[in-house]
Amino acid sequence: MTGQKQSSDSGGKEVKAIKNATATAHVKCEVDENGRPITADDPSGRKWTWEEDGYTVFRGNARTAPGCHDNCGVLMYVKDGKLVKVEGDTENPYNQGRLCLRCLTVPDVIYHPDRILHPMKRAREDRGKDAWERITWEEAFDLCEAGLREIQRKYGPEALYVACGTGRDVILYENIFKALMGTPNSGMAFFPGQSCYLPRTFSTNLKGGALFISDYSQYFADRYDHPGWMPPEYVLVWGNNPVVANSDGSLGHWIVECMKRGSKLVTIDPKLTWCAAHSEYWLQVRPGTDTALALAIGHVIVDEGLYDHEFVENWTFGFEDYAASVAEWTPERAAAICEIDEDLIWSVARAIGKAECWTLQWGVALDHTSEGFYTGMAAYDLVGLTGMFDHPGGMVAGLAPFNCGIGWMPSFEDMAWIPQDPNMKPPITYENLVGLNMMGMADSTAILEGMERNDPYSIKAVWFFATNPITNEGARPDRILKVLQEVSEFNVVQDLWMTPTAMACCDVFLPVATYPERVGVAGHQPYLTGSITQAIEPLGEVKSDNEIVVEMGRRFHGEEVCPWKTDEEYYDFLLANCGSGWTYKQLRERTWAVPKVEYYRYKTGKLRADGQPGFNTVTGMYEFTPVALGSMGVPTTATFVEPVESPVSSPELFEQYPLILTTGARNWGFFHSEGRQIPHLRRIQPMPHCRLHPNDAKKYGIEDGDWIVIENTHGSCRQIAEVTPRIKEGVVSADHGWWFPERGADDGTYFGVMECNINKLLSTTPGTVGLGNSFKSQLCRVSKYEG
Amino acid sequence: MRNALLINYAYCTGCHTCEVACQKEKGLGPEQFGIKLTQIGPDQIEERKWQYEFVPVPTDRCDRCVERTESGKQPSCVKHCQAGCMYAGPLNDLVPLMADGKYALFT
Ligand code: SF4
Ligand code: SF4
Ligand code: SF4
Repeated sequence: MTGQKQSSDSGGKEVKAIKNATATAHVKCEVDENGRPITADDPSGRKWTWEEDGYTVFRGNARTAPGCHDNCGVLMYVKDGKLVKVEGDTENPYNQGRLCLRCLTVPDVIYHPDRILHPMKRAREDRGKDAWERITWEEAFDLCEAGLREIQRKYGPEALYVACGTGRDVILYENIFKALMGTPNSGMAFFPGQSCYLPRTFSTNLKGGALFISDYSQYFADRYDHPGWMPPEYVLVWGNNPVVANSDGSLGHWIVECMKRGSKLVTIDPKLTWCAAHSEYWLQVRPGTDTALALAIGHVIVDEGLYDHEFVENWTFGFEDYAASVAEWTPERAAAICEIDEDLIWSVARAIGKAECWTLQWGVALDHTSEGFYTGMAAYDLVGLTGMFDHPGGMVAGLAPFNCGIGWMPSFEDMAWIPQDPNMKPPITYENLVGLNMMGMADSTAILEGMERNDPYSIKAVWFFATNPITNEGARPDRILKVLQEVSEFNVVQDLWMTPTAMACCDVFLPVATYPERVGVAGHQPYLTGSITQAIEPLGEVKSDNEIVVEMGRRFHGEEVCPWKTDEEYYDFLLANCGSGWTYKQLRERTWAVPKVEYYRYKTGKLRADGQPGFNTVTGMYEFTPVALGSMGVPTTATFVEPVESPVSSPELFEQYPLILTTGARNWGFFHSEGRQIPHLRRIQPMPHCRLHPNDAKKYGIEDGDWIVIENTHGSCRQIAEVTPRIKEGVVSADHGWWFPERGADDGTYFGVMECNINKLLSTTPGTVGLGNSFKSQLCRVSKYEG
Repeated sequence: MRNALLINYAYCTGCHTCEVACQKEKGLGPEQFGIKLTQIGPDQIEERKWQYEFVPVPTDRCDRCVERTESGKQPSCVKHCQAGCMYAGPLNDLVPLMADGKYALFT
């Protein structure tokens, strides 16, 4: 994350914009006369701990483990040193007392008999076998240090891959860990196209110069009562199921509160979700065609003059080129591609074109297509057309509050304390992936293929942070498993559980703390910063993720670089280093702090560090055609490209594999591959399911509850059929992230991970710029499993 | 008379939180319920109108969280309900709440 500084010469502006686009700008923190940050909430009378009915109550924010994208306010009830229950914190504006089933079962996670509580090692030749041996932390750190030093000596520090997952705060410190270890190779583990949020946020940061997020009033301490806030007239729920997924730091049920206050929904989804059923318009699109739909909506808005003329004239760049690019995208054409009725496109375009405010609740489906980079752009231009930036009930710029980086991904300036080798090799990637390359990111497919080929410069060691790629997000887990077991010489995992990835591949297991067992900084959100408050002593010998990071840093750089003896000291340093104005204890005392956020900051110069009005882009305008993209040599406007495998692009393949496979949808109670051990969560959905339409089921002789085989040219797996009219005919929606911890560790199947693993059917080829991959639009066929 | 439970099921998303909040509050196993979700649909009522809704129904294990209520707290399900669509209290206090929406009242 770079700061918002604009270079004074014009050269280099594009590069700066591209770097900016990987992150969100820091904006100077406003302080009062005593140098304390100015906040929008009043913490007087707020206590962080008290006694109640024989319990000691600790107030904090839930983040993490277990994994989640949110950080709800929690009250942790402790008796005799044991966490008895977790309740929602009614005063915390984020969740206002509510708590979902996953936080309600946190004690079941903490005290689960399967949880790993001591460091362990296993000989490399025993990978895959339940031959773990308990060791001390001293030995664990010695092994990790020796293992990585050996890799460094033989291949250089760049041969280490820092492989991350999502939803646990340690992944947000990925930049720190990889800098400490001297490698440029990191990213979501074996996740082609970095296909979660990054394709969208990168391309649209080039357009708007910041991350803009739907305004459900979460920016304000007084929430729905905030003067000036308006419920979005329409919420466009596009490619996600927000009430289940809670993705990207938004609580899905905020939308329900907006509905109570008059918001109407438009849902774009091949599946009838709760939101779809409660929408004014439900567009049941063919997976992978969202770009065509966005261009057609834009077409109508331009054609009928429904765009915000004042905004477009004064605050945008490239409108003519944009208008020309959508001219050919008539609703008639898009409707045929998307397989929806044409009139729905007209209606939705007019609804948002005429709305006083509307917001784009976009989801990962937009990234889960090869050209996800452009899909995000096309959807975002509708926000630009209607001038919904920093607009009440629209999209509000998520700037780093109190100078704390969003997601705590520190700026390069903020990482000056870590010595860097100027001769460090560049990340492993392919030359044509210009977007990834300009961001300085590794390509996970290049990493996988480099390992398969045993390239001279390839990965020889992997450090797993909050990730379980052969179960969850890795495309082609069969191939990933092989390179991890056979090619990588040293694998270390930080986790709570013996996951399939840990069981199959790792040499050292480092057990980590859950949020009630540690301190930390929560609120990796632009609307709230807060404390992770420790309520109980860590079980067994578990350590926080960050304690491990710091100790590894100390092993490689000494006390001078990593002097901190406790997590609290480390957070004090991080908080001071970014200039937040807080110490950890000050933050814990108040538990949360809400920044002062205003609307229309592009008019007041508050989106740019130079204080000039406008957006933080090369031109200072919202760029329909991003200047920086031109300099990358790729198209500056979106066009619809058929998924690589589709009825249209590969008709011969379609004859053999006549169904469209979509995957990645969330289920209640689980966070990706997490939660399978927790009885009260597993009860809700005990086994992996694949949804198919009754007509398709009939065609292939399948009944509800049958085990079915799902297969294509890449691979096959089996799941249980859920025959339901909720899913579009011709599409199947298969679960991801399944494993069966109850099976035990020693049957050689790694908890059955490959049997139901839909990721075996995925492609590993990211799109044009290297961002986005086809997770939601593959072809497949299904048949009854005959066992 | 014991407290009533009122659900505005126009907003119930079927998130299962009430079920689990109750199980945890009452120390129930995963197959024991103080309140249990029921599902309506998916049913295509008209060309573009679907009913796909949920209504949680309290069971005989539900004591309306009498202990919590006596110490001034809301029942655990009501407090944690993700959609904020559950209400508990004396019947007469709940009846006036039924304005816009779709309500199920359990006495
Ligand atoms: S959304 Fe996340 S933080 Fe909030 S209650 Fe659920 S698991 Fe906890
Ligand atoms: S009121 Fe209490 S006992 Fe009844 S369902 Fe809700 S949580 Fe369970
Ligand atoms: S917690 Fe509320 S929204 Fe969730 S299922 Fe229960 S009643 Fe419905």
